[in-house]
Amino acid sequence: MSVSKGGLKRKSKASSEIPSSSLADMAFLLLIFFMVSTTFKKEKTRTYEPPQAEATQKREEPRKDVLHVYVERDGGIYINDQLLQLDQVSNVVAPLYEENRSMIVQLRADREVPYATVDQLQKEFQQAGAIRMVFYTELEQRATRERR
Amino acid sequence: MALMRKKNKPSGDIPTSSMADIAFLLLIFFLVTTVFDEEKGLEIVLPEQDSEVEVSQKNVIHLMVQVDGLVAVKRGESPQVQRVRSQEIGSIWRQAAAANPNLIAAVKTAPAAPYRYMIDVLDQLQGAGADKISLQVLEE
Repeated sequence: MSVSKGGLKRKSKASSEIPSSSLADMAFLLLIFFMVSTTFKKEKTRTYEPPQAEATQKREEPRKDVLHVYVERDGGIYINDQLLQLDQVSNVVAPLYEENRSMIVQLRADREVPYATVDQLQKEFQQAGAIRMVFYTELEQRATRERR
Repeated sequence: MALMRKKNKPSGDIPTSSMADIAFLLLIFFLVTTVFDEEKGLEIVLPEQDSEVEVSQKNVIHLMVQVDGLVAVKRGESPQVQRVRSQEIGSIWRQAAAANPNLIAAVKTAPAAPYRYMIDVLDQLQGAGADKISLQVLEE
């Protein structure tokens, strides 16, 4: 039954090369897909160092429901790239909360900011009606804590 | 002279073999350099404005965060004050909450204390499963 010894071996005409002509198309397709689907932050990057916490949890709210309130180390308060005084915060937050009732305020404050500022901000949020808030923190590993 | 003309036969095709490499290189470059801005943190629901709730002193554990980061713990009505480091708050809460399930944590932070000391305490409380937390400013 052995055919190969009988000289009947058929010559395979299939090309031994991997077809690479469509590889470029695939790669560009992926590239363009990621370029189009990437959303960029609307706000300018602020310099602040968030505090660390072990209980940090990932938030699943859609981005449009999150209002970022930045407090830099020097005490400057920014909402939507606008520098605000402490007592103006509720006036700015209130109309935004009226527009979107499921809004959550995310406080991105520097770890060295005196607590008085943070307390005053909470009162401003309360006054604006935005009572759900998140203290933005970085996840702290247990090992880092023990070294401290 | 015409016979001596060298025959130049440049290939008519655009070389496409390296195109895939270029495209993948770009793809990998952008994948690596992209940083995602995660939404994360510790959530708290603030009380509504002008809504004061009377709570019995025996259901309250006072955690007073000092300027130096130490926490003075005062349980309910007992006048005793215990000064601890913020890392110990979690176990203190677990013990106290096991004895009294209606316990409320009142975190009072000194106005001049850095924000991160309050977060340390809040972190410990949330890590220990506390859900009734009140944040206030410490009045001298």
